[in-house]
Amino acid sequence: MKTLKMEKNVLELAESINQDLKASKDMGLLKCGQCGMCTSTCPAARHSDYDPREMVKRVLEGDEEVLRDDIIWNCFYCYTCHSVCPVNNSPCLIIQILRQKSIDDGAGLEKVASFLAYGDSFLEFGIGSIPHDFFDNLLEDFGDGWLDLKLNLDDIRGELGLEGYVLPEKALCEIKDILEKTGFKERLDRIRRFKNEANTM
Amino acid sequence: MKQIPCKDILLFKSCLVSVEYPGIESSTRYLFDQLGIEYLVDERQSCCTGLGHYYDLFDQFSTTALAARNLAIARETGHKNMAVMCATCYAILKKACQTLEENKEIRDKINNIFEGSGMGQFSYQRGDFDSRSNIFHVAEILYNQKDKISNLSRIDLSSFKMASHHACHYCKAHYADTLGDVRDPQVIDTIIRSCGAQSLEWYDHQRLTCGAGFRQRFTNKDLSLSVTAEKLLSLKEKDVEVLVHMCPNCQMQFDRYQPTIEKILDTEFDIVHLNISQLVALASGADPYRVVGVQTHTVPVEPFLKKLDIDVDLRQKNLERSLVDEERSLVDEERSLVDDGRD
Repeated sequence: MKTLKMEKNVLELAESINQDLKASKDMGLLKCGQCGMCTSTCPAARHSDYDPREMVKRVLEGDEEVLRDDIIWNCFYCYTCHSVCPVNNSPCLIIQILRQKSIDDGAGLEKVASFLAYGDSFLEFGIGSIPHDFFDNLLEDFGDGWLDLKLNLDDIRGELGLEGYVLPEKALCEIKDILEKTGFKERLDRIRRFKNEANTM
Repeated sequence: MKQIPCKDILLFKSCLVSVEYPGIESSTRYLFDQLGIEYLVDERQSCCTGLGHYYDLFDQFSTTALAARNLAIARETGHKNMAVMCATCYAILKKACQTLEENKEIRDKINNIFEGSGMGQFSYQRGDFDSRSNIFHVAEILYNQKDKISNLSRIDLSSFKMASHHACHYCKAHYADTLGDVRDPQVIDTIIRSCGAQSLEWYDHQRLTCGAGFRQRFTNKDLSLSVTAEKLLSLKEKDVEVLVHMCPNCQMQFDRYQPTIEKILDTEFDIVHLNISQLVALASGADPYRVVGVQTHTVPVEPFLKKLDIDVDLRQKNLERSLVDEERSLVDEERSLVDDGRD
């Protein structure tokens, strides 16, 4: 009997997205009819070359190159597409999953490297911080009033009758322990190694 | 419609509220006290990871594990109704709660981590929480108290034109749970009207995101600000004086960047940005500097306060008064030391 040699399953990428922890229940990726509701309501599509309908099409065509396309980093995660899709698909969630795959794959590491300080702060204080790499830009836009707030935050919180926001030591140990065991610390270290190598190049 | 609680509430701390607009928290606590809502703030609760999560830095598994720990704190203290001040906390907690309920493999993995590290008290059992009936936004709790809010109002706001910005991660991410309609929730608008002010029925780009886009603000600033500008321009067209928020990240995007956008577009926006709790607290006569926290805003709130006949020198007077109090207590202390010496 002749066997038909099939090409690699074209839906492999789409199916792996559907099975991802981030995917919503009954996400209608495979039901996408390319109606374009997503693109017509998308702020990133209105102001840049990003096109959610096109992203879904590429996923359904099994185009793995999409993971290395800079355009996936333009989505705002505003969930507008997610809230209007007639077949319960969610380009917003698909892009979140594609970015995670891109990071796992290595191509996306440069995109998260500048946010490393947020993760470090989380491990130390149980609360993220503004990523240092962008602090000067923010200060330039927000002005000295914002710097005063940063410098006098404890006094202002006191004025408002609020206690400190840093967690007690025991809670911090728990959070650190949990994040080590979920693999988050290792994830940050991998991003750090990438960042250090990129800086010495 | 879903049932909204007024007791057993864990007021969930938000990172951006804590460090950018702490007045949102003090206003919420003030209102909960005024309205007789029973709540707790727990110092052990960690940040939800939301910003890091949507910077793509956090993975879904780690976010879910930390949510399980926070949910366990709520359960253990008998405050199973989470009330969040930030739309991102809302979406993050709902998603994590659904995962813990529905995904046995993930639940077991997380529970194994807890049990293997002497933290078995955080383990999640199926049925512990229901993402629809246990996780709320503070705006929903206030919406449920709208009649009481009308009675609390002491300041005449009837001449002011306001509009709402219903944060995307409240109204779009888990749209089946949104109070009112996903396209036009009217949650904030209803509360604005309870305070006696006017709220626009509709404006262009009403559904549009604030433009922060998590990483977009940092890595694609032009793209980010063009979206924010689009919304500000449509509000200007309608002569809106106050844009009312339910998320500190949206508030930050509009309030902190408005002067920058004014420069870029060579225009002026006379728009003040307040969180819904801040607005209701102001309307009910709360001190703008000791409760509402207007001193952390970038767009000055003082011109708006002046129109309300609120004393904008209050902060200075408060500070002077607390200095006098401090001196008085020092004198008292010295006096008692002298008295002790006599004994």
